Amino acid sequence: MPVKSYKKYVSLFGFVAPAFVLYAVFLLIPTIGGMYYSFTDWNGLNRSYEFIGFGNFAEALSEDPDFIGSLWFTLKYVLFMIVLQNVFALALAVFIESRRRSKGFFRTVFFMPNMISTIISAFMWTFVFAQVLPQLAEKTAIAFLDQAWIGDPNVSFYSILIVSLWNGVGYMMIIYLAGLQGVPQSLKEAALIDGATPLQTFRNVTLPMITHAITICFFLTLNGAFKVFEVVYGLTGGGPGRSTQVITMNIYEEAFSNNFRYGYASAKSVILFVIILIFTFIQIRVMKKREVEA
Amino acid sequence: MKKIWKGLLVTALTASMLAGCGNAGSQPGNAEGEGGAPGAAKSVKLKMFIAQPRLKEHYDKYIADFVAKEKAEKNIDVSVQLEMPTADNAAQILKTRLASNDAPDIFALHAINEIPSYYKAGYLEDLSDQPFVGKLLDSVKPSVTTTDGKVVAVPLETLSWGYLYNKTIFADLGMTPPTTITEMKAVIEKLKANHITPFVLSYKEAWIPQLVLPLAAGALINTENADFIERMNKDEGSFTEMKAMFDIFDLINANGTEKATEVGGDDGAAAFAAGKGAMWLQGPWYAETILKSNPEMDFGVAPLPINDNPEATLINLSASTSLAVSKSSGNKEVALDFINYVLDDQASGGFFQALKFNPISTVHTYDSYPWVNDATVFVKEGKSYQDPAIPQSVKDEVGKGLQAYYAGQMSQDDVLQALDKAWKSFNKVNK
Repeated sequence: MPVKSYKKYVSLFGFVAPAFVLYAVFLLIPTIGGMYYSFTDWNGLNRSYEFIGFGNFAEALSEDPDFIGSLWFTLKYVLFMIVLQNVFALALAVFIESRRRSKGFFRTVFFMPNMISTIISAFMWTFVFAQVLPQLAEKTAIAFLDQAWIGDPNVSFYSILIVSLWNGVGYMMIIYLAGLQGVPQSLKEAALIDGATPLQTFRNVTLPMITHAITICFFLTLNGAFKVFEVVYGLTGGGPGRSTQVITMNIYEEAFSNNFRYGYASAKSVILFVIILIFTFIQIRVMKKREVEA
Repeated sequence: MKKIWKGLLVTALTASMLAGCGNAGSQPGNAEGEGGAPGAAKSVKLKMFIAQPRLKEHYDKYIADFVAKEKAEKNIDVSVQLEMPTADNAAQILKTRLASNDAPDIFALHAINEIPSYYKAGYLEDLSDQPFVGKLLDSVKPSVTTTDGKVVAVPLETLSWGYLYNKTIFADLGMTPPTTITEMKAVIEKLKANHITPFVLSYKEAWIPQLVLPLAAGALINTENADFIERMNKDEGSFTEMKAMFDIFDLINANGTEKATEVGGDDGAAAFAAGKGAMWLQGPWYAETILKSNPEMDFGVAPLPINDNPEATLINLSASTSLAVSKSSGNKEVALDFINYVLDDQASGGFFQALKFNPISTVHTYDSYPWVNDATVFVKEGKSYQDPAIPQSVKDEVGKGLQAYYAGQMSQDDVLQALDKAWKSFNKVNK
């Protein structure tokens, strides 16, 4: 039989290779290269650079208040996004599932923002926040609308959330919709016969049955929220000052403006990578345990 | 089975092709071919890298003239491969090229921000003994000269700036641009009395509030604090010496339009063009945008007063886009010919005029725009200074710091401390 298994690997390799080669050339090799540079003081221009061991990592974690600040800001953003994005998405999915005739319409409408690229929606909302809302406040005398939506650091966090949610909820909603449709009707009917209220049915039948969808959505949100860039870049540019700067922007700034410290910026990227790895690992471990089969 | 092998072969080919991309053209200027027979034209392929796609047609035309000239005078067939990426990622692409030994023969870079580090990394050819150097205006030359006195680039784009003011409003109220901060206060009072907001504020993009630093620092360096930059480079100075910049910055902020942190450069230009403010802390590089939104707009450039010493009210003169020759170029002779042709006695004037750049050489005698002439008057009176060599990272920091200061998140001392720290880390990284 050894010949047969050999053949199996050849065909496996044949199928995987085209994608794998591209993946390796454009992602794997640069990633490893980036990790390599994170131990150097390369500035992106000089031909020579030195190995400085864990110097970059030590500096990022102990002597760089801007990096730590952006880390906390990102964590706050991640927390809000995980809760809000999933609550909204699930609520919308349940709402749409309960419709009989207008299902397709609502599904399309709520998914639409997801089809616009994030950076473009950020620029659209910049216009809304800076021009439309103040005008609206003037015409309707709703004083609440007349805020420095993207200029005031206390308010701009929520502006960033609004745009991220507007853009991201639709995608999660589709996943939840698929999950909801997979819940066997028979279970719900059984619960109904046992006298469960709709809320009880939802909590004790529907939710456990869609845990796999929740796992995926949490994973995607967690992963995406840590790597948020375009929305913040388009709306506030991290400003005023650095008050809304997220990690990715801090890294970008370190590498492509400031002192062009590529090595140092790579070290920060590696830190971000490790953080995401740990968080998602824990999240998957915890949530996988709770999944049930029908 | 055959198919599998075919698949593998294709994959392998693709892989080798991709790998090949990395090495392609690793020998810069792979020209000098064909030649041989006496009398036959030598052919040279010149690679250029200029990140100004909006001006492509002018460059193309000028390059075509150059090619014709080389053919006529030296019998060299020059073919130019002009690369014009957008300005946003040009620096990125150029760095990659240089680092991977694929340098273009001639490339554009920013005189103040980029020349020092590129020179230090050894990518720039020394052009000090080229004929064009003698034609440069004395006020422009320092911007393309390295600290050890070598001219390494020919400047294309220069800027003379302070702040912009609405000439119509100033003329209606019978005012002239103030020369001291006290006069500036009087101007502000008069504008307010006539219900005109004195300043347009646009601080959404950090580089706009940043502009106040080169202006204030430049003025102070040229009057009372001549060795500030050198001392900062040696970790001996401190930005507390520049605290005076907050006098003018506070004055501008106290008398400006609202919600400044939401207004970007383009919105600011529109507001200024619509007469929503009489002055705008901005350079003439926004002229095109302003005229687009109001073609009738009459505005001028004036130096910003920062204290009560009229001598310190000066125009900032700096070069930005400049052309340098790669040290590793295989076609240096032709590349140098082109660099000199940029300031050619006959052709250069028309070229610079078409590009709408300011005159930078004695061979430039064309008429420029009114706002350029405004600034040139100050420059000719000697009321200008070379843009101080503040590291880019410090400039970025000051933009962010002043944004935060405007939003009330940082105090003056916080900002100054952050700047000291930024300069120190610049020194540390670039020692």
